[in-house]
Amino acid sequence: MSTEEKPAAAPRSLAEALRGRDDAALAALLRSRPDLITPVPTDLTQLATRAGTRASVVRALERLDRFTLQTAQALAVAGEPASYEELLGLMAGDDGDPVIAAALPRALGVLREQALVWGGDDRLRLVRTARELLSPSPQHPSPTGLGPTVREATAGMSPGRIQELVATAGLASTHDSVSAVTALSALFSDPERMSALLDEAPAESVAVLERLVWGPPYGQVTADPAARLRWLLDRGLLLPTAPGTVVLPREVALRLRAGRAHRAPEPSPPPVEAAATHRPQVVDATAAGQAYTALATVEELLKDWHEGGPAVLRAGGLSVRDLKRTAVALDTSEPLAAFWVELAYAAGLMASDGEADERYAATPAYDEWLEEPAAGRWARLAGAWLAATRTAGLVGGRDAKDRTLSALGPGLDRSAAPEVRHRVLTLLAGLPEGASPSTESVLARLSWERPPRDGDELRARIARWTLTEAEMLGVTGRGALSAQGRALIGAPPARRTEAAPEGPGDKLPVHHRPAPPAHALSPAERGAAGAAAARLLAPLLPEPLDHVLLQADLTAVAPGPLERPLADMLGVLADVESKGGATVYRFTPGSVRRALDAGRAASDLHAFLAAHSRTPVPQPLAYLIDDVARRHGHLRVGAASAYVRCDDDAVLSEILADRRAAGLGLRRLAPTVLAARADPAGLLEGLRAMGFAPAAESAEGDVVIARADAHRTPPRTPPAPVPDGPPVPDDTLLTAALRAIRAGDLASTAPRKPSGGEGPGGELPRTSAAETLATMQAAVLTGEALWIGYVNAEGGASQRVIAPVRVEGGFVTVYDHTADEVRTYPLHRITGVAELADDGG
Amino acid sequence: MNGPLIVQSDKTLLLEVDHEQADDCRRVIAPFAELERAPEHIHTYRVTPLGLWNARAAGHDAEQVVDALVQYSRYPVPHALLVDIADTMDRYGRLSLVKHPAHGLVLTSTDRPVLEEVLRSKRIAPLVGARIDPDTVIVHPSERGQIKQTLLKLGWPAEDLAGYVDGEAHPIELVEDGWALRPYQKQAVENFWHGGSGVVVLPCGAGKTLVGAGSMAQAKSTTLILVTNTVSARQWKHELVKRTTLTEDEIGEYSGTRKEIRPVTIATYQVLTTKRKGVYPHLELFDSRDWGLILYDEVHLLPAPVFKFTADLQARRRLGLTATLVREDGRESDVFSLIGPKRFDAPWKEIEAQGYIAPADCVEVRVSLTDSERLAYATAEQEEKYRFCSTTATKQKVTEAIVRRFAGQQILVIGQYIDQLDELGEHLDAPVIKGETSNAQREKLFDAFRQGEISVLVVSKVANFSIDLPEATVAVQVSGTFGSRQEEAQRLGRVLRPKADGHKAHFYSVVARDTIDQDFAAHRQRFLAEQGYAYRIMDADELLTDG
Repeated sequence: MSTEEKPAAAPRSLAEALRGRDDAALAALLRSRPDLITPVPTDLTQLATRAGTRASVVRALERLDRFTLQTAQALAVAGEPASYEELLGLMAGDDGDPVIAAALPRALGVLREQALVWGGDDRLRLVRTARELLSPSPQHPSPTGLGPTVREATAGMSPGRIQELVATAGLASTHDSVSAVTALSALFSDPERMSALLDEAPAESVAVLERLVWGPPYGQVTADPAARLRWLLDRGLLLPTAPGTVVLPREVALRLRAGRAHRAPEPSPPPVEAAATHRPQVVDATAAGQAYTALATVEELLKDWHEGGPAVLRAGGLSVRDLKRTAVALDTSEPLAAFWVELAYAAGLMASDGEADERYAATPAYDEWLEEPAAGRWARLAGAWLAATRTAGLVGGRDAKDRTLSALGPGLDRSAAPEVRHRVLTLLAGLPEGASPSTESVLARLSWERPPRDGDELRARIARWTLTEAEMLGVTGRGALSAQGRALIGAPPARRTEAAPEGPGDKLPVHHRPAPPAHALSPAERGAAGAAAARLLAPLLPEPLDHVLLQADLTAVAPGPLERPLADMLGVLADVESKGGATVYRFTPGSVRRALDAGRAASDLHAFLAAHSRTPVPQPLAYLIDDVARRHGHLRVGAASAYVRCDDDAVLSEILADRRAAGLGLRRLAPTVLAARADPAGLLEGLRAMGFAPAAESAEGDVVIARADAHRTPPRTPPAPVPDGPPVPDDTLLTAALRAIRAGDLASTAPRKPSGGEGPGGELPRTSAAETLATMQAAVLTGEALWIGYVNAEGGASQRVIAPVRVEGGFVTVYDHTADEVRTYPLHRITGVAELADDGG
Repeated sequence: MNGPLIVQSDKTLLLEVDHEQADDCRRVIAPFAELERAPEHIHTYRVTPLGLWNARAAGHDAEQVVDALVQYSRYPVPHALLVDIADTMDRYGRLSLVKHPAHGLVLTSTDRPVLEEVLRSKRIAPLVGARIDPDTVIVHPSERGQIKQTLLKLGWPAEDLAGYVDGEAHPIELVEDGWALRPYQKQAVENFWHGGSGVVVLPCGAGKTLVGAGSMAQAKSTTLILVTNTVSARQWKHELVKRTTLTEDEIGEYSGTRKEIRPVTIATYQVLTTKRKGVYPHLELFDSRDWGLILYDEVHLLPAPVFKFTADLQARRRLGLTATLVREDGRESDVFSLIGPKRFDAPWKEIEAQGYIAPADCVEVRVSLTDSERLAYATAEQEEKYRFCSTTATKQKVTEAIVRRFAGQQILVIGQYIDQLDELGEHLDAPVIKGETSNAQREKLFDAFRQGEISVLVVSKVANFSIDLPEATVAVQVSGTFGSRQEEAQRLGRVLRPKADGHKAHFYSVVARDTIDQDFAAHRQRFLAEQGYAYRIMDADELLTDG
């Protein structure tokens, strides 16, 4: 929609350019860059400002196809503003290229539509942010491999040096650095003069240029460059950028490249190539077969989880062990098991139950789903897959925090997934019917449509997964898009007449517009597409059968899908041994017993088999059922909490007949035994109340004597006596206690010499450091106790009575009477010292 | 899309027998799929890597296999399965063992990365020598078997094109007076000879010995025949003297009692695998002559040490004979790599249909233990249980009833436990052949049985293999070696030889109800049921009242 701005007045800004656009053009802009209207801008100036913000521009650039991006990159290295001819020159080179010339207007149109470029053809301007993002700089080398312009590279150079360059290059000298640089640029840009200059160059110097010409344009030089480098440096063909680094100026590189900004411009999308072509009928049938398998697999998965699926991990998702187990149950690989599990989840057929011990289970939607016809069930699955952002392919990988990504767990959403899936299928739809593409060509095409940034392979990975998953789901068959798959993505049915002349090796570009809108279908359209796909699929699915083949080796073979009631019943009566187009069941004593446990009688089973077998029921199978039935229920197990035993069965009959016995829950097990739901004590009570004289019986059958046995505890030690007061202390204890008491007493009550002037009320003594030291040293000599104020490391102040032992290195080692032990105190923490009164001790 | 074949996701193929295209389909899938079960309506084939490689060895390519599946399949064949088949088949023959004019035995590859991959394997490194060129590496001739075994384990089976030594020539011809090789026997000999080495799978009673004799007549060289036991060795000898130009003197017996080495030598597995002081003293047998052909009877029983010796015999032609490739120990892949691929296979029922083996009526008779026996069974030690239930007194009554019913016909009573057999022998007034019966006595009794002088013979498991009782029409099995499937097959084989009067053969298995005997019996019968021999199940009472 390359709407030209009105030529009348050349716009001076993007806002003006936008103002000049008609509504359709603006709508196209907003459609391609929806982020611009969240929230809706108040006016076009605001719209233009927002279109120029970095985040928005980055987003827009990321969504450009390769050629359009190359065009933008070329504009970023062109002059500002650039003319269309200049741009064409950069893209096609001096010699021109008709393909590029034909493709360029489209690319430029896209850039204009997306408001990345504005201005008329004579004054093309790249939006400033885009220019900053795309211009080459040492930090962000441009994919063009071009370096800075002469002007940029000489920005910090001394005028004298520039003069030298000009002179060596053989240009008229000028004292004005600006015009000197311009002259130099002009020389490098002029093909004839440039080639004349290069003709003089030594061969080694040319080799250096050739090495740098396609980038990266930077090279390392030593402090004393070799002659071949010197020759280039002297003429400004290489310019120093930093000590030891030189760069090939953009003008020189462009000249050496014959004007081309890109080594390999890719004006047209690489075609999606057909690797093989199958008959469309084969493709559709194979896909239908696989679709059927997909349905069976999902049903089997949820049947497996029928009575409580695996637990939900605390961090969410399925544990690796459960996934493994599921893979074994589904007889598939773990990645595929993850795919099926995620598919059921995406389709809303299964979810966590949200209980305290969370488990996965089928949702009510699953039951509804089961009731739908097979084709409709498939359409639901396929539709959910197409739209899901969750990607099962990531399962087993690791996230940014190096945590394993588990199936059904967090971190599996990739917003690009639906779009890539849709795109891949659309590409497939572009091939003639029955053609399956080579994976590489699909990937190459996707990578052209949206070049990956910095080795980000996500889209390519999703595309690969899409191809496998589509095959698993039966959207494709033998690698080619099936008719139902085509309908599913809303693509028109393949036109055989048009495809035919292209032949199997078709190379036609599938779409002339590179990136169609990602989510082409609204929910309503998706529903319609699903219904259309289901209609196409329905006749291809095998008709459910109402019979099986029974064989003497105790197997039953269902040579196709079975009607659901039949399949359910057989699933109980026999074990499934092999699955696929057909199902092989094996009858075992265990499986027959299971059917009997489920309430079937042997005669039911015989009738069931006879009704659904095309052939006579083999004798061993009939025998097996009878044999198991013969023993089934031979032993009976029930719960009773008490029993009544009596040798006289008339008495028991009497009890049973008695109305008062109703509450006891009695049941006759044998002529002489009644079982009761009441507990033994209650039963005794009840029977006594009815006038009987029952006796209790122990587990061994002895009569329990009613007189209570003396009750005894296990061995116990007698309680220790609690005396009135504490025991009389011995001498050691006494001495110790005394000392403690005395020390405490000393600390609190010691009359002190009135030094420092503090009162007796527990104020910390305060003396100067020198005085403290002197008093301490004196006390060491005399051995007398002192009263000190001390502040501990936590800042808590205390008073202590000490007898200094040694003073050295800023520490005093003391016998602390208060604590009753030898301690060391730093002197600087001692706030003051006072001698005790003489009688202090 | 209405073919007779259904391809399952577990790589089994279900073939609907009654379908009009069933026979065509069977013919095209037989080369690559192993017939696993052949009950009355649907036959099950399994596609395994070994089977696919067998097909490659027989000259089939992946395209044929895929075509066969796609053509006959009723439902679309999963794409992944086709890709897998093509991939698997593609692995065979990337590597081959060939004779290099200058360097002797070499391993060459048509795919260099594969060669690189296997050479990097620690298990291959010690088996190969210098690299001659990027695609060729020397293999020590003595490691020819070892390297094939190892390569198969690595999933890159090598094609052995290194050829065979001719061995010492010795004239052997078939003497076809009044008999001739049956068409399928001829086909088997031809396939084997064309393939060089390999295994021929034929049902019991289908004349495997004659395939052996036919192959010897092809090779016309000294031959070493390995058999399971002495009786079998005598029978081979007897048969060879009768069917070929070989005389008694040309055939030696190498067994525990006799150590003769002649141009054709028949040795037992047992003597070969006898170990003294950590060495196998009888190994020299293999080197004692320049054998041109080595025959392995009952390949499915080949003991492990014999595999090891066989690994060193890769330059000699090897023919394996067996009724089933099922090995209870699962070493089918060693059979493939060391003896050779399957060269011929014919399902039992097919040969029965051609009238070469007798149709059989298999009956399982369930007897109930008496109340006191049940109590004793419940309290028996675990390891005694089988013995206890399989020797219940009721079985005797039933056996007698069966013998009475078929009075006048040749009846074999086969069992595991000597006491039981002795007792039975007494009651039936029949001679008992057991381990302690001397070989001379055995052969005398067998002869008498053959001549019809005695009509009931009670045998222990010594008679499991290779005894030839052409006129036995009824076999009664009273106990077996737990759940051995191939024993059951062998025993049934006793009565399957075609009868002169076209009688149906009868095979009775007497089983104690509700005991592990019944479980083992079910396991044993599985193989036969899968071969299409449907068992009827009868209650003992029914039989007793009838009889």
